[in-house]
Amino acid sequence: MRLNPDHFWTYSEWLFEKNALRDGAILSVTLALLGFVIGYIVSVLKYGPSEGFLRVSQIIGQLFTVDLPKLSFRRIYAMAKLAVKESIRKKILVLIGIFIVAMMFAGWYLDPDADSPARLYLVFVLTATNYLVILLGLFISCFSIPADIKNRTIYTITTKPVRPLELFLGRVLGFTAIGTLVLAIMGLLSYVFVVRGLDHSHELVSIDPTAKSGESTYNNRHRHTFTLNSEGRGTTNEVKGHRHIVTKVGDKVVIGSPIDDLTARIPIYAKGLEFTGRDGEKNEGYNVGYMSEYQKYIEGDSLSRAVWRFEGVRPNLFRDVILYDLTISAFRTYKGDIVTPVGGLIHFRSTDGKVKSEDELFKVKEFQVDRRSVRTKLKGFKQNEEGKDIATDLDFFNDIAANGSFEVVVRCQDRGQYLGMAAADIYLRPADLQFWWNFVKGYISIWLQMFIVICFGVMFSTFLSGPVAIIATVAALVLGFFGFFVDNLVTTTSKGGGPIESLIRLPTQMGSQIEMELGNETLQQVIATADRGILLAVSQLKNAVPNFSQLDTSNFVAYGYNLFGGLLARHLTIAFGYFVLTALVSYFFLKTREMAA
Amino acid sequence: MATSLDQENRPSAHDNDPTQTIVETRNLGKVYRDFWGRKKVQALKSLDLEVRRGEIFGLLGPNGSGKSTTIKLMLGLLFPTQGRVFVFGKEATDVSKNERIGYLPEESYLYKFLNAEETLDFYGRLFDIPADVRRQRIESLIKMVKLEHARRRQLKEYSKGMTRRIGLAQALINQPEFLVLDEPTTGLDPLGTRDMKDLILRLRDEGKTILMCSHQLADVQDVCDRVAILHQGELKELGRVDSLLKIQDLTEIHASGLTDEAKNQIREIIEKSGGKLDRMDNPTTTMEDLFLEIVKESEQRPGRRGGRGGN
Ligand SMILES: Nc1ncnc2c1ncn2[C@@H]1O[C@H](COP(=O)(O)OP(=O)(O)O)[C@@H](O)[C@H]1O
Ligand SMILES: [Mg+2]
Repeated sequence: MRLNPDHFWTYSEWLFEKNALRDGAILSVTLALLGFVIGYIVSVLKYGPSEGFLRVSQIIGQLFTVDLPKLSFRRIYAMAKLAVKESIRKKILVLIGIFIVAMMFAGWYLDPDADSPARLYLVFVLTATNYLVILLGLFISCFSIPADIKNRTIYTITTKPVRPLELFLGRVLGFTAIGTLVLAIMGLLSYVFVVRGLDHSHELVSIDPTAKSGESTYNNRHRHTFTLNSEGRGTTNEVKGHRHIVTKVGDKVVIGSPIDDLTARIPIYAKGLEFTGRDGEKNEGYNVGYMSEYQKYIEGDSLSRAVWRFEGVRPNLFRDVILYDLTISAFRTYKGDIVTPVGGLIHFRSTDGKVKSEDELFKVKEFQVDRRSVRTKLKGFKQNEEGKDIATDLDFFNDIAANGSFEVVVRCQDRGQYLGMAAADIYLRPADLQFWWNFVKGYISIWLQMFIVICFGVMFSTFLSGPVAIIATVAALVLGFFGFFVDNLVTTTSKGGGPIESLIRLPTQMGSQIEMELGNETLQQVIATADRGILLAVSQLKNAVPNFSQLDTSNFVAYGYNLFGGLLARHLTIAFGYFVLTALVSYFFLKTREMAA
Repeated sequence: MATSLDQENRPSAHDNDPTQTIVETRNLGKVYRDFWGRKKVQALKSLDLEVRRGEIFGLLGPNGSGKSTTIKLMLGLLFPTQGRVFVFGKEATDVSKNERIGYLPEESYLYKFLNAEETLDFYGRLFDIPADVRRQRIESLIKMVKLEHARRRQLKEYSKGMTRRIGLAQALINQPEFLVLDEPTTGLDPLGTRDMKDLILRLRDEGKTILMCSHQLADVQDVCDRVAILHQGELKELGRVDSLLKIQDLTEIHASGLTDEAKNQIREIIEKSGGKLDRMDNPTTTMEDLFLEIVKESEQRPGRRGGRGGN
């Protein structure tokens, strides 16, 4: 799993500095204007200009004067309850049966030889649940109102003092409740499935009494080795992403259940990564050509190095060791000795560079997380007045990371080889989060997607028939998935100006290469500003539909990273945005629709 | 009681006390169109009528004459393509008017998977009625429509007559001032029909205003104070039932125990005084006569309004 820089944004950073609030506002205004214009055009075609205008303004006015103030929770609740009953009568809960069967089959087919069975299991349950509840949301939401219209039960609803928004809210609430129930059951089953599926034990094969090191039996297609300390305790080595705790009770050695396979690391990431070239000058890092723009490289046995800068790391998060994970890849310009991994050197230093720890050697573990640690009491060097490094004992948080900022420096040891790294490839690991809580957060993510699907499904079903509403909802999701195309479209139209400028260029046959000359500076500026505004508005329109690839957080859970609260809060905000959007669109259609036509 | 707001929204000054008019349609018309906006059916043509407080108003007409369309326009389920409707002085699309209306649709469009209690509870909640009041009303309504024995059975198990009765109970859950009944007696057996009619009369006596439509002449004749007769979307007659059925230059004589001789004498007297004896036998249902006559007339000369009776 690759973490992107945007994953680290805090909620307020996202909202204010990354312009989420601004973009949301632009989108709202654009949609409101668009809705008004379309509504007005339709209304004029139907009723003529003055009557049409009156009707549109009435609908908008009534939203604020009566339809919102007179919302009744009792009515919403009644309709939600009805929606729940309806879904249960439709045997929606059969879905859970399907899910159980799917898990039983998966239990046979999930590859026990995989490097990381935990990840495999988690990806499976999360993906299966995600698809199933999205399908569930899609079907229950798209067919309900059309069925009411077809059975004409809607006659007995809309002739009661039911407000259009209540019709929408009741449905959304009811279906969300059903979806939540299904999701909760699936989540619980999944959790049990994963934990039970991964659980296994080993017996002792042999133990060397002097070295106190031993070997376990071969179970679940792997075996472990271990070493015990003087108190007769220890852990095995890590195989397939897990370890076991080993204890000696009397004469017997007991190997416990697997640990560390279901984790939720809470990584502290660096604020920045900088590179120096082979000459010691700052650069962007080397490109090794083929694959990654994600990682940049440093050259072996030279002045080339990578420097991560950490800020605001609080001492109280750690005790006597600082755990950190390193994921670095190597690029070989010559094969060399392929069995021996490429080596690197790592040390920690203060931001002014005057205090640093001893270099430590590491070997590159390709595609694997290297779990490393540094003691808070460590050996290193301090610069004296003449600028010479004096070897001395150091305290990490007093000497290197005074006020919480420090740097990590990595070099490549082997001449002619390269090491590749990105900003997220090193992180500190304070105590882990409880896995189950991260698991729950992953399901909240799925829940949000389901909620958005329900909102869109109900919205489309206010003016489309059931099957068409399904197609429309799916189309919206697909469109959201490919939203970035719209982005490209917008940025590439900049040549020859925006829409208004183009409108002027076309009839005057002005080529797109020459500057537009209207002989009026202010007019030209007004046009340019308007064009920028329009382009900005259009670029935000892609956000009118949700991008589920961005809302998918299953990898956080599967790869064992804490799903950041900030990220979840963002997704929550986005979901709320879609809720408001779909509510307003539904209001409009329910308000203007003839229920008996 | 009309509020000041009602008075503001009042369509026009009126001969009668405005608070006494429950429904007013003005030049009301409806054209059903298909998806492309092409005309399908002209279901209603410029209808003008009023329903007054406290009366039972009947809409009479053969199937497809536009009765249900008129009702749906009044309830805001349809939007007029011509003219306007006001209910309690408000536009028919105004949701708040529904607080005071009860509606029994042509078929009881209820949720089949609910039982009688759940149904009434659901609609009670839609009126935002608090729980204790709701419970009381459910009790008395179930008793009133005689569904005590079936209160816990799902509606899909109900017979046609039971469905009609729970439909009526549903329409009464908010104790409406104005009750709209679309063919309340269809599907009921003679006994059920009788019960329904009695119930309607009782509700009128309790002070409710009732608008009902029917294609069954006897219903209308028995319970309605005033009727409007529709045919092919046009208003053919409007007036009090008694005066509609009274034919001014016709004298009706009902007598029994007359001998043939006596009958001949009567004939002679009529001839002598310049009258003409049209008929002398047992009377038929007069409403049926009237109705058939209107239909016949209307088919010969479409678009004309007949000239019988007064308001
Ligand atoms: N939803 C509709 N779409 C098209 N035509 C309709 C619709 N509803 C009713 N009609 C037509 O309008 C006319 C009047 O129907 P309706 O008002 O239901 O008659 P009634 O209730 O008097 O039997 C009929 O010709 C009917 O076919
Ligand atoms: Mg009808």
